[in-house]
Amino acid sequence: MRRSLLCIAAMAGTLFGQAGYEKIRKGPTENWLTYAGDYSGQRHSPLKQITNANVATLVPKWVYHVDKSSHLEATPLVYDGIMYVSDSNQVHALDARTGRRIWLYKDEQAKRSDVNRGVAMLDDKVFFVTSDAHLVALHRKTGAVIWDKEYANGKQGNFATLAPLAVKDRILVGVSGGDSGNRGFIAAYAAATGEKLWQFYTIPAKGEPGSETWGEADVQWGGGATWLSGTFDPELNLIYWTTGNPWPDFYGGNRKGDNLYSASLVALDADTGKMKWYFQFTPHDTHDWDAQAWPVLMDMPFQGRQRKVVVHANRNGFFYVLDRVTGEFLRATPYVELNWAKGVDAKGRPIVLPDTDPTPDGRRVCPNVRGASNWMSPSFNPEKGLFYVSTLEACDVYSSSTKKGEPMKGYGGTGTAPSGDGKFYMRALDPKTGEKRWEYPMTGANAMWAGTVSTAGGVLFFGDDDGN
Amino acid sequence: MKMRSMVVLTLLSTALVFAQESKEEDIKNPLAADPAAIAAGKRLFVEGCSGCHGTNAEGGRGPNLAKGDLIRDVPNRRLFASIKDGIKGTEMPLSRLPEENIWQMVTYLRDLTSPAFDSHLAGDPEAGSTLYYGKAGCVNCHMIRGRGGFLGPDLSNAGRSKTPPQLREAILDPNATIADGFRGVTVTLRDGKKIAGVAKDNTNYAIQILDGHGDLHRLLKQDLSEVVFRKKSVMPGDYKQRLSASEVDNLLAFLSRQSLRPAESKEISK
Repeated sequence: MRRSLLCIAAMAGTLFGQAGYEKIRKGPTENWLTYAGDYSGQRHSPLKQITNANVATLVPKWVYHVDKSSHLEATPLVYDGIMYVSDSNQVHALDARTGRRIWLYKDEQAKRSDVNRGVAMLDDKVFFVTSDAHLVALHRKTGAVIWDKEYANGKQGNFATLAPLAVKDRILVGVSGGDSGNRGFIAAYAAATGEKLWQFYTIPAKGEPGSETWGEADVQWGGGATWLSGTFDPELNLIYWTTGNPWPDFYGGNRKGDNLYSASLVALDADTGKMKWYFQFTPHDTHDWDAQAWPVLMDMPFQGRQRKVVVHANRNGFFYVLDRVTGEFLRATPYVELNWAKGVDAKGRPIVLPDTDPTPDGRRVCPNVRGASNWMSPSFNPEKGLFYVSTLEACDVYSSSTKKGEPMKGYGGTGTAPSGDGKFYMRALDPKTGEKRWEYPMTGANAMWAGTVSTAGGVLFFGDDDGN
Repeated sequence: MKMRSMVVLTLLSTALVFAQESKEEDIKNPLAADPAAIAAGKRLFVEGCSGCHGTNAEGGRGPNLAKGDLIRDVPNRRLFASIKDGIKGTEMPLSRLPEENIWQMVTYLRDLTSPAFDSHLAGDPEAGSTLYYGKAGCVNCHMIRGRGGFLGPDLSNAGRSKTPPQLREAILDPNATIADGFRGVTVTLRDGKKIAGVAKDNTNYAIQILDGHGDLHRLLKQDLSEVVFRKKSVMPGDYKQRLSASEVDNLLAFLSRQSLRPAESKEISK
């Protein structure tokens, strides 16, 4: 993504009330109130002014430079004519009509500097996380600090990059850091005061259900980071959140078992944080295939019955459809060329092919370490019934080492090397069948990380691999 | 004037080099935080440095050192060397004082440019709090952790982001420096309606005004018949008369304690 924001639509200034929960729940209008547009994560705008007929006439309206930014990876939120953009340890509030800055909040005391993926809004507050895992509440009109809460310990391998998720009266956060050892979690804080309401660890403590799937590994460093925001079903009162890879990434000999709940999707009660169900996409992952992109919620017929489903394009190369009430596996279909599994069984567990685990000499496996897709935002157009996902066709040679790594030293059980050229595609998948409906091959440097936004005008927006 | 700008620029760029080198192993200041050394260093500074840098290091022919941005990230090794040996290519001369005196000046500059939170101010923070939320009326315009008005900068982290001289100046001489986004303005719309507040931003085409109720007005200049900026700060300029010296000290002590982060980040329980 580029270092500056390009606004291509003029917006009128009006006086709004607060950005309350019910407004977020209604989904995007001229406002965009949560990272994925609405709680379902569909990232679909109802705006129709831009169509296939006029999209080619769009011209830049303003450009805002985020000073000294090297990786601007945020999705801006927009409310009441103000756009909120985050970067490492800072939030910029811009007049969306002119691109001029209204306020800037910078945390100069943060102990590290990592990318930041955006802010959350609720009522009169804007929330973001600093790189060293402070959750900060700012006044949305002024950027004044209402509260600042350290929610994870850097000495335990944690840092923070995600956009928080505002649900009802609480703010949900997760942690980054699984590739060098940490213990991932999702936590909820009271929006008004910053009081911690609950915390769910993605790796169970010794003696808890699931801990038997870790062999002799020290769960304190098991990984399962929660790098990105989740989604939410207000009727079921369930939060859906994906979890990262187990650690060390490429060597699993010291963590024999499925390594629950890494590389999984967990469904949690929004009020208590209790897990209602889980589904593990890649048991005992040894290819750094976090479950990354957020789970997208939709209702659709499946085998003759209307179902509430959750869909997810995983790094491991399968496109999943699950029942989001129960977690029941419904379908998984490959959406890239893959050579590590011949399919999945009736429960959705991959049928792993022999000789695909990394070795000291290396083994060629597809997808590559970046995954078939990654954290690039997918989107879903309910009118067309299509799911859009940035897709990478690529393979790596994966190597491993039995050396016992020290946490927080950048050791992942060794690593990967590219095997041949990769290629990016924008693909439209049909969740009803799992089939690919169309694709847009990209030229470029094979380095894109941009996501998508779908619109009711029939236009799909995304950044391509050539920097367009 | 040109020469002065060049000196400032040179010193600035030198400071940047210092900042880049700050991760190198540094030497220890043998007098660090010693109150006697701070006092001695101040005397030496006034005698030898104030001609260029101002009596309170507020700048003049040489750059302002009290703001802290030129000093704070510079390691002891370089700060000591720049006083002892001068800075080549600038008007900063070398010093023939003994090393102990140079360390005293380093100690003074460190104290001067430390965030107020790290200074040990003489006033009573509790009495200052009473003033802040009461008689002095600061809370009417300034927020601390969400409590307060809209027309002044947020002070939730004032102790960390400002030095004691900056805080003192802000209270006693508010017109000396008006913070970005807090210049007072009154505009008249074409229909005669007036909006007053502080300008968060202003261009030839648009202006964004935050009023005293916290409402943000995003206006295009084409819709305005008049824009009048206040020459002086919105902050009252009479605190020197309204508050006694000890009350100012108490207020400073209270503000110096305002920190979003604790002195040492506490461990998070598992």
